[in-house]
Amino acid sequence: MSDTSAKSLADQLVARFGDTLEVSTERNEITADLAGADLVAVATALRDEPAFRFSELIDLCGIDYLGYGQVEWDTTTVSGSGFSRGVEGQALGRFSWAERPSGDSQPRRFAAVVQLLSIEHNRRLRLRVFCEDDTLPVVPSLTPVWPGVNWFEREAFDLFGIIFEGHPDLRRILTDYGFVGHPFRKDFPLIGNVEVRYDPEQKRVIYEPVSIEPRVLVPRTIRDDADLLQARAEAADKWREN
Amino acid sequence: MGVIDSISRVMHNPEPLNLVDDILRPAGDNPVVQRGFATTSIDALMNWARTGSMWPVTFGLACCAVEMMHAGVARLDLDRYGVIFRPSPRQSDVMIVAGTLVNKMAPALRKVYDQMPEPKWVISMGSCANGGGYYHYSYSVVRGCDRIVPVDIYVPGCPPTAEALIHGILQLQKKIRRTSTIARP
Repeated sequence: MSDTSAKSLADQLVARFGDTLEVSTERNEITADLAGADLVAVATALRDEPAFRFSELIDLCGIDYLGYGQVEWDTTTVSGSGFSRGVEGQALGRFSWAERPSGDSQPRRFAAVVQLLSIEHNRRLRLRVFCEDDTLPVVPSLTPVWPGVNWFEREAFDLFGIIFEGHPDLRRILTDYGFVGHPFRKDFPLIGNVEVRYDPEQKRVIYEPVSIEPRVLVPRTIRDDADLLQARAEAADKWREN
Repeated sequence: MGVIDSISRVMHNPEPLNLVDDILRPAGDNPVVQRGFATTSIDALMNWARTGSMWPVTFGLACCAVEMMHAGVARLDLDRYGVIFRPSPRQSDVMIVAGTLVNKMAPALRKVYDQMPEPKWVISMGSCANGGGYYHYSYSVVRGCDRIVPVDIYVPGCPPTAEALIHGILQLQKKIRRTSTIARP
């Protein structure tokens, strides 16, 4: 997709929907933020109107913005001997939503993201709907517009606990029968709450509280590597001396 | 070769017996062709039959299943060992747990194992089946399929190569050869 067509689609969206959409273009990809109340009307228009014809829904997924932009590894105080690791428990999954760290860069916690494709115009569009209520995230269902979204919404409900209003059959789709919690929420403990084993006395597989200790498993993300900056400065000095 | 000699060879389990395997030898060495009969112990005969046709129930759960398929098809060809994959636990005596066993699948795995007729063996294939592997700290993965079924052979690797699986199957054959069902020590 060329830059001009992306621009023109963004312009078209602004011209057609005005303040309903908040259109932004990043890396030549268009994202439109909108309120949940407008979602079904906008989606229907995007599907049916000849200028858009987004006939295909590629994907729908949830996002949990809890702790967005924060890292567990301390990379600002890096010394020559290496990293200090955030074993003290900065990590998500170690605190409840009420005790979340401050300074969230996103005002709302949950969002649903929809990826659309217009085969006719060979264009793509991303819609993002933030849920108004963080404790009970609700988004209107897109099943009347694109029936194929059915299982994607079930997946987002299962993993993030986002409720899709108007969905015909909003059940869990991936997790275990009788599973408690929504595992892709950032405050869900990674090791979970239960584990299974076979009980030879009862002759069946039983559930027990999890027996292992949690561990830091957050990958090391280097955003500000002081060590690297130091090395770079020294190399520049050396080059200047020569 | 007298009776004492035969008994002493039987007593030397777990060394390879070759008592029954002799009948597969070329005509010059073959006791059946030469003499028209062969002597052996019931245990050796049973173990020969068991190791010669281990039919695994295919329990492919993840990428290990692909390596299991490689072991089965033309290049390495598990048929050479009499290993033929069966779609039903009722017809199987070995279960190869190939891949990540999750909590949701655990009761089904146990049910399939319970449906297999005795005697039965389990090969745990790959890191995930051995002990959870990469997903050891996950909320949904069983930390080793030996929490659900008794495992005879662990094949390490992520995934193990098809050769490694075949090595595991040969190890299981060795293990079966060591057991004596009739003779009491």
